[in-house]
Amino acid sequence: MDHRKYMTILKLDEAAIASRRAFFAVSDEDLARLASLRPLAEKIIDAIVEDFYALLLSHPDTRKFFADEATIRRVKRTQREYFMGLFAGRCDLAYVEDRLRVGAMHERIGLAPTWYLGAYRQYLELIRQHFDAQLTEQGAARDGFLSVQRLVFFDVALAIDTYIAANLEALGRHQAAVRELSTPVIRVHDRVLLLPLVGTVDSHRAQQIMESVLTHVVEAQARCIIIDIAGVPVVDTRVADHLLKTAAAVRLLGAQVVLTGITAQVARTMVQLGLDVSSMHTVSRLSEGIELALGMIGKAITAKSK
Amino acid sequence: MIQVAATHRLSIDCEGDIIAVRRRVRDIAELRKFDSFATAAITTASSELARNALVHGGKGVALIEEVTDGSRLGIRIVFEDEGPGIEDIPRVLAGGYTTARSMGLGLSGSKRLVDEFALESTPGSGTKVTVTKWRRF
Repeated sequence: MDHRKYMTILKLDEAAIASRRAFFAVSDEDLARLASLRPLAEKIIDAIVEDFYALLLSHPDTRKFFADEATIRRVKRTQREYFMGLFAGRCDLAYVEDRLRVGAMHERIGLAPTWYLGAYRQYLELIRQHFDAQLTEQGAARDGFLSVQRLVFFDVALAIDTYIAANLEALGRHQAAVRELSTPVIRVHDRVLLLPLVGTVDSHRAQQIMESVLTHVVEAQARCIIIDIAGVPVVDTRVADHLLKTAAAVRLLGAQVVLTGITAQVARTMVQLGLDVSSMHTVSRLSEGIELALGMIGKAITAKSK
Repeated sequence: MIQVAATHRLSIDCEGDIIAVRRRVRDIAELRKFDSFATAAITTASSELARNALVHGGKGVALIEEVTDGSRLGIRIVFEDEGPGIEDIPRVLAGGYTTARSMGLGLSGSKRLVDEFALESTPGSGTKVTVTKWRRF
C-alpha cells in the first residue's frame, strides 16, 4: 500500500497517465498486440526469468541483494508477475499503481537506478532473442518487440520518477529542518517598522524574530511595528503564541504591534483554535496596516492636491 | 465502510518533521481538491497534533490515509506517540490546560478544526489521536 502514496506525490491521475502514454507512444494497438502475445509470453517466461537472474547473480553489485534461496524464489515470482503484466493489454490507473511498486521497492532496498536500468537492458535483449526465434511471420518479431519496448520505457519512467520522488522527500525533510530565513526589519516611515514574515516559524526562528524586533524597536524608537504574516503557511497555536509574546514585549517598550496579512482561511482557523489575538491590532491587508500605523504617529496618506 | 486509497507514513523526530507532515497533508488536500478553508483546517490540526507527539512523546508517527466512505473523499490521520499519555482527557479537551508552558489549545483547537476526532491515551504508554476531514461538495 505504501507505494501508492507515490500516485499522489507524482500527481498521477487519469490525465497524467494519458499524457505519459501519448508521449511514450503506448497506443491501444500496442496493448492489443501485447495481449495477443500472451500465449507466447507464457511459453518463454521460464527461460527469460532464469536468464535474467543468472545475470543479476553473476554480478557482485547486484548479487548482494539476493541473500538466500528464499529471496531468490520470491523475486523470481515477483518477476513473473511483472513480466506477465506487460502482456495484460492494459495501461490504466491500476497498471500504473502496480508499476510504482517496482521503483518503490528498489528504492527501499537501496538498489541504485544504475543496476535497475542495466537489468532492464538485459531484459529487453532476452525478449528480443525469444521473439526473433518464435515469431517467424514477416515483421511480427519487430512489431511485438517495439510494443514491449514502448511499455517498458513507460515503466522505467515511473520507476525513475519514484526513485527521485523518494529522494526528494528525504531532501525536503532535511531542507525544512535547516530552513532559517533571516528576519528583515524594514523602516516604512519615521518610527514605523515592518517585518514581513515568510516561511515556517519554528522555536529557534521565533526567538530570532523576537530579539530582532525588540532591538529594532529600541533603535528606531519605533511607535509601531507591522508584522505581516501573509507568507507564513500555517498559523498554529505555536506561531500565535510567539506572536503574542512578541507583542507583549513590544508593548513594554511603549510600541504597538499591527498584525497584517491574515487571510480568510487563517482567520477562520485561528477562531476555531480558540486563539485570542485581541491584544494586537489586526487588519487583513498590509496597506491598511501601514495606514493604521501612520495614524498612530499622527501621519496620514492623502491624495496630492493639484 | 471506509476504504483506504493510499497511505503515507511519516515519522516525527524533530521540528522539521512537523513541517514535513503538515506539508504532505496540505499537498494531499490540494491535490484532492479540498476547499481552501478545509485545507487550512486539516493542515493546522496536523501541525498541532504532530507537535504534541514530538513535545509530549519525544517522537511519534503520523499515518496519513487518503480514505473514502463510498460517497466522500477524506483525509484521515493517526498520530501516535509512546509518551507519558494523558491523565485527565476531559480537562485537556476543554482547552487552556498545558504541561508544556504553551497555550494549551492544541488538542481542543484541533478537535474543532476536523470532522471526526478520537483520542485514546493510556497513562504511561502513549497517546493516539485520530482525526478525519471530509471533502465538502
